[in-house]
Amino acid sequence: MKDPFIKIENLTFAYTDEENGRNEVLKNLNLEIERGSLVAILGHNGSGKSTLAKLLNLILIPQSGKITIDGLDITSPDLTEEQLFENRRNIGMVFQNPDNQLVATIVEEDIAFGPENLGIEPKEIRKRVDDALATVGMTEFARHSPHQLSGGQKQRIAIAGIIAMMPKCIIFDESTAMLDPKGRREVMDTIIRLNREFGITILHITHYMNEAAQCDRVVVINEGEIELDGKPKDVFTHVEQLQKIGLDVPQTAELLYELNCAGIKNNGKPLPLGRLSVDECANEIMSLMESL
Amino acid sequence: MTEIELKNVSYVYSLDTPFMKTALDDVSLTIHGGVITGLMGHTGSGKSTLVQLLNGLNKPTSGQVFVGGEDIWADPKQVRKFAFKVGLVFQYPEYQLFEETVRKDIAFGPTNMELDESEIKRRVEESAEFCGIAPSLLEKSPFDLSGGQKRRVAIAGVMAMEPEVLVLDEPAAGLDPRGREEILGGIRDYQRRRGSSVVIVSHSMEDMARYSDEIIVMSHAKVYMQGTTAEIFERADELCAVGLSVPQITELMNTLRDRGLDVRRGIYTVDDAKAELLRLISAKRGAK
Repeated sequence: MKDPFIKIENLTFAYTDEENGRNEVLKNLNLEIERGSLVAILGHNGSGKSTLAKLLNLILIPQSGKITIDGLDITSPDLTEEQLFENRRNIGMVFQNPDNQLVATIVEEDIAFGPENLGIEPKEIRKRVDDALATVGMTEFARHSPHQLSGGQKQRIAIAGIIAMMPKCIIFDESTAMLDPKGRREVMDTIIRLNREFGITILHITHYMNEAAQCDRVVVINEGEIELDGKPKDVFTHVEQLQKIGLDVPQTAELLYELNCAGIKNNGKPLPLGRLSVDECANEIMSLMESL
Repeated sequence: MTEIELKNVSYVYSLDTPFMKTALDDVSLTIHGGVITGLMGHTGSGKSTLVQLLNGLNKPTSGQVFVGGEDIWADPKQVRKFAFKVGLVFQYPEYQLFEETVRKDIAFGPTNMELDESEIKRRVEESAEFCGIAPSLLEKSPFDLSGGQKRRVAIAGVMAMEPEVLVLDEPAAGLDPRGREEILGGIRDYQRRRGSSVVIVSHSMEDMARYSDEIIVMSHAKVYMQGTTAEIFERADELCAVGLSVPQITELMNTLRDRGLDVRRGIYTVDDAKAELLRLISAKRGAK
């Protein structure tokens, strides 16, 4: 990889408790994330996705293995407190429930909370808050109270609060799970914009296969190991393998797969499954109909 | 098969204060008996408020709620009996578990109904089965289970009260595809076997399409649409206008129709789409 922003080598992490002993969640994991890429992380509940996210900004400490972020070995025993905070500032996290992430009674104060704690000059904070609000398209709500906003709007405020700290990377841990379809679209559009326009490296943990289909790369984690890794159009051709580990594929790929199972061929060839968007899939079906 | 009927129901939060907010505005609707009704709508559309009126947990500011033809607030002292007739499962019910064992937790409702021991045992085991909880888990502490298992224990606890109407607010939120299928499939088996009435609130169009017989769409404190699942998902533009959507497969079928392919309307599952395309393919081959 040209320029890995995150480099994970032989990472192992286990939770231990008295009754069940040691429960290994990540097993000798190796993964590199390219700077400026948009990567979806898929896996069933309990597969180790969220644990991985928490290790990257040292909410959790790995038992063995090495994590290098932006050239800094964050697992090194010599890591200074300053470096630890620097790393936390570099890696922003947005969680599932927007209500648990908002602290202030006014939207702009909530966004200022992070930069204030970083000890940034008031003038600079003002600018960052305004920029962050504009980035998530919430400028007109600056003086609103967060609890009157919709789920998608609240989540965009939570994202703005992270952007105001100017991280190089943002991890979205199922940030769309509690939202209605419009809220999900708003947040997904914001995620894509942050990546494309601002070059922020993004890890998007999700159970929505359609969202994963919009990312550059999909990493599937199963039982603490990497099961599949590649472009969405390649990963989602593994329909049976994904279903076996409790996941799914976008309905477009599922339909093409089902037609293949029924023996349908286009000019003697099975239908390609990597047609994930509605348009691509429709093109494929129209071409099939014309071939008959 | 118990029906629920709302007549001119309004619900206002913080009435007579500057924070007054109308969550339901003169809503009249019927939730039919013996089917699964999907309840959907954007955030703040009034779904959760509506759900909390169905068993007398909250009292409407005005209007009447009928369960099986009875006005539940006719005698406010008697309203508690409707909490047993209409069982409510809240969002993230796994946070409400509290007992020492899974068995005791599921038995909590039936025990409060003062049923005899053998009946409680039957109900606990039957609802555990509907929710896919293995018998070996019954003697474990609910706090040792995974998130998805805890959720199923909480749902089993309400099912064990054998309510005439089971109402679930986002029962599959935050679960992976298999977890969603296990919970929603279990609820459908329960509904089909007992013939009771079920209401499911969800933001997932794909889940609604797969599991609902009928759908009610809420928007801005009012009922925006009501009909069978096929009828609702035929109206894609209207759904998008209120912040919802249609399943991706429906969007695909609409696109194919726009491009001149003669696919029928009202397709909202992959199985139906496959059958329809196979029909068109064999028709075209036959014409040759």
